Amino acid sequence: MSDLTQTTAVPKRDRSARAENWARAFYRFRQSWLSLIGLAIVVTLIVLAVIAPWIVPHPDHVAGTTNTGFRFQPPSAAAWFGTNELGQDVFSLVLVGARVSLFSAMVVIALAIVIGTLVGAIAGYFGGWIDEILMRFTDLLLTIPSLILAMAVAAALGTGVWNMIIAITVTWWPAYARLVRGEVLVKKQEQFVVASVALGAGWPRILGLHILPNIVSPLVVKASLDMGFAILTVASLGFVGIGVKPPTPEWGTLLSGARAYMPDYWWTAVAPGTAIFLAVLAFNLLGDGLRDVLDPKARR
Amino acid sequence: MLFYFIRRVAMLVPMLLGLSLLLFVVARLLPGDPVGLAAGPNATPELIERLRAEFGLDQSLPMQYWTYLTGLVQGDWGQSVFTRRPVFEDLMTYLPATLELVIAALVIAIVLGIPLGLLTAVYRNGVLDYVTRTVALGGIAMPRFFLGLLLQLGFAAWLGWLPLAGRFPLIGFPPEHVTGFYTVDAVLSGDWEGLRLALAHLAMPAFAMSLSPLATIMRMMRASTIEVLQQDYVLTERALGLSSRLILFKYVLKNAMTSTLTIIGLYVSWLLGGTVLVETVFDWPGLGLYATQAILTQDFMPVIGVTMVIAMIYLVTMLLVDLLYGVFNPKVRYS
Amino acid sequence: MALLDIENLGLAMTSFEGETQILHGIDLTIERGEIWGMVGETGSGKSLTGLSVSRLIPSPPGRYTSGAIRFEGQDLLQADEPAMRRLRGRRIGMIFQDPTTNLNPAFRVGTQLVDVALHAGRADPSVLGLAPGASARALKAAAKARAVEMLDHVGITNPAERIRSYPHELSGGMKQRVLIAMAMIGKPDLLIADEPTTALDVSVQAQILRLMHALVHERDIGVLLITHNLGVVAQICTHVAVMFRGRILEKGPVRAVLKHPSHAYTKALLDAVPRAHTKRGELRGLGGIDMEAAE
Repeated sequence: MSDLTQTTAVPKRDRSARAENWARAFYRFRQSWLSLIGLAIVVTLIVLAVIAPWIVPHPDHVAGTTNTGFRFQPPSAAAWFGTNELGQDVFSLVLVGARVSLFSAMVVIALAIVIGTLVGAIAGYFGGWIDEILMRFTDLLLTIPSLILAMAVAAALGTGVWNMIIAITVTWWPAYARLVRGEVLVKKQEQFVVASVALGAGWPRILGLHILPNIVSPLVVKASLDMGFAILTVASLGFVGIGVKPPTPEWGTLLSGARAYMPDYWWTAVAPGTAIFLAVLAFNLLGDGLRDVLDPKARR
Repeated sequence: MLFYFIRRVAMLVPMLLGLSLLLFVVARLLPGDPVGLAAGPNATPELIERLRAEFGLDQSLPMQYWTYLTGLVQGDWGQSVFTRRPVFEDLMTYLPATLELVIAALVIAIVLGIPLGLLTAVYRNGVLDYVTRTVALGGIAMPRFFLGLLLQLGFAAWLGWLPLAGRFPLIGFPPEHVTGFYTVDAVLSGDWEGLRLALAHLAMPAFAMSLSPLATIMRMMRASTIEVLQQDYVLTERALGLSSRLILFKYVLKNAMTSTLTIIGLYVSWLLGGTVLVETVFDWPGLGLYATQAILTQDFMPVIGVTMVIAMIYLVTMLLVDLLYGVFNPKVRYS
Repeated sequence: MALLDIENLGLAMTSFEGETQILHGIDLTIERGEIWGMVGETGSGKSLTGLSVSRLIPSPPGRYTSGAIRFEGQDLLQADEPAMRRLRGRRIGMIFQDPTTNLNPAFRVGTQLVDVALHAGRADPSVLGLAPGASARALKAAAKARAVEMLDHVGITNPAERIRSYPHELSGGMKQRVLIAMAMIGKPDLLIADEPTTALDVSVQAQILRLMHALVHERDIGVLLITHNLGVVAQICTHVAVMFRGRILEKGPVRAVLKHPSHAYTKALLDAVPRAHTKRGELRGLGGIDMEAAE
């Protein structure tokens, strides 16, 4: 009966587990064609935004030159998206407008991650009264409607891209602080962290070397999902007349300006509006795809 | 249960206290000179000084906060530097308009979102599923203000079916004031023409606001329904002959609702904060327009007031969501 | 006429790898009063056979490639969904493995019990002791009374109060009793129990088996008991069928098969059961058995 005894062969691996994980993640991402479309649009947008000043048909319009003889031309071969009330080429304005939107959204997210991680990691790692104070404060900020707070701060600081970025960041970091705190609390209990505490490692080393590198995935997922909403918020501020002021082209401001001429000269509004929509959609699709790959448990 | 409720309500007090302090400090720390703006460019330093004294801005910050706090409890929420009107009265005027809009949007989102989520989960990968999911992806990405503009373009300018903007015709008389909700007031006074007009004005802004929560609720509901449908107890219920309609609308729905409920609660705050945008597009005389006006003139008190009201409504909603959570999920214990 | 007659049943399932034949011509006949134990390792197709009888395998991915499942002469593979629904819960009861996941956590156990009783009562009012054409109200009242009665019958103390409990307020053994009550409340003629005691601890297992045994004898019904536990088979089954890779290798009265297994696989299965005198290191697995040679 000895032939019935079970033997287990250890399977040989030619690749490391980590490389295999990445390969599988990439495969899963490729499986979802919606994420690929999102990625394609995002890349196109970023490339266009970077090279916009050199490729737009009317760089002078972007700089503020007007051409009143050509006011409110409907879309045509000469002006793809038509012209606005000042006779400026809407296509040029929208293309260059991508710069402000993408740049400010990225900076907002980056700042929010830095501040949020700092606050969240300290609160989660040290606990006790530090945690209590920091988290009560973030909770309070989270109850304030973010758009109104951002509007108020931006209005008080005055117009300008950086003031707008600061205003949005003020409302944006608490969510990251909550996320990081939660992750740090979980990771703190893990064996490898407990082990390094036992070995006498100091807290900056434990936090920086053992905990934070392990919470990058949820942060990346949240950041990519948030990019779309940050673009939306930038445009919202522009739309209500707070934020970037003309002549700097910005999608929300362009849309707000177009409102006055709305039923008759609809193209002046449709072009920047569609640009916002496409950018938000693309980042959402990309974020959904990344979440499925990096954080399969949160799949919803 | 009752004890839990009382404790939760009591916990709102320190939250609101902290919030009022935070808002007050932030408002005072920010650069900006509301009195200077209100007094106009030609004001003399003496006039500005007199105005500052009138609004108590010459006092120390703790003193100002104390005055504000004691007033808050008595229904005196300060005064607009710009219009000189009491903030509390203004809030009570504009709040019903905003609430009517937000509730209408929420009702549209829930009434359409939950059944659509259930159905697309059951007929997964069918035509309805693909169509609604594609629309939902777009719906989440669509800026409310742009959607509002497109609706105005289509239904007001081109088709002429709905009024372009506003809450009621300028020359008409709104229904007799009872609740401040025009639709409710119209029904209460039996003013059916008024109800028709109020609904016609409400339709576009409410829909523009509802699309994003509608899409999110639908997606959430679809995902949790798919998860619930794979549970063992659904197989048992099918194996013992219960009809698929009973299983779906009774046994699955209640389980799938729990996660959706939290999303609905979060959207109340999102909708209230976002009225700024939709009210701007549709000239809807609510808190959003009021807040925008105040923000542009850096008029602190109305901004603090609007923020406090929205935060209060948000906190109360989250409390209600927590209580409802226990109804849908009996495992939740209130202690 | 046999209560259940499965003849040459073939089932194929489609997955991303293509269609795979899962069941290769199952033949099995169950008469009233017989308790058939179906044993075999995980993935041998026991559970899918049980689910097939109630037609609970969605299609796609499932597809029946051959055979018939005759319940009192009616071929269930030809029956449509409404016809199957009239049988489920009323003529055919089912119990599944894990009592904690098989009761709906958001509803009181009574709600679920009453709904099953109502379903069975609508199909046949006599189940609830009513005459044909009973009013909806009478059905509802009778279903409620019957639910309490049934809980009492499966040995739950204080049933009138327990009926208002949520599943998480009951122990695992109590939950399985509730599930048995749900399966039996429609007075079925055939009971399919898929590993009904596997998730329970040993002392509760024995109680549940005793309960099932008593119910079967009292009603004279046929049972298909799916298990991988030969001890359970030896305790309560009258007949046994040994399954391996979608085939029935050996079947017959339980004594005959367990005492004189004719098939190498059955022998291996029996040898794998640990005994009181099994020494450390002597525990045997089934790995490495050469089925091509065994067949």
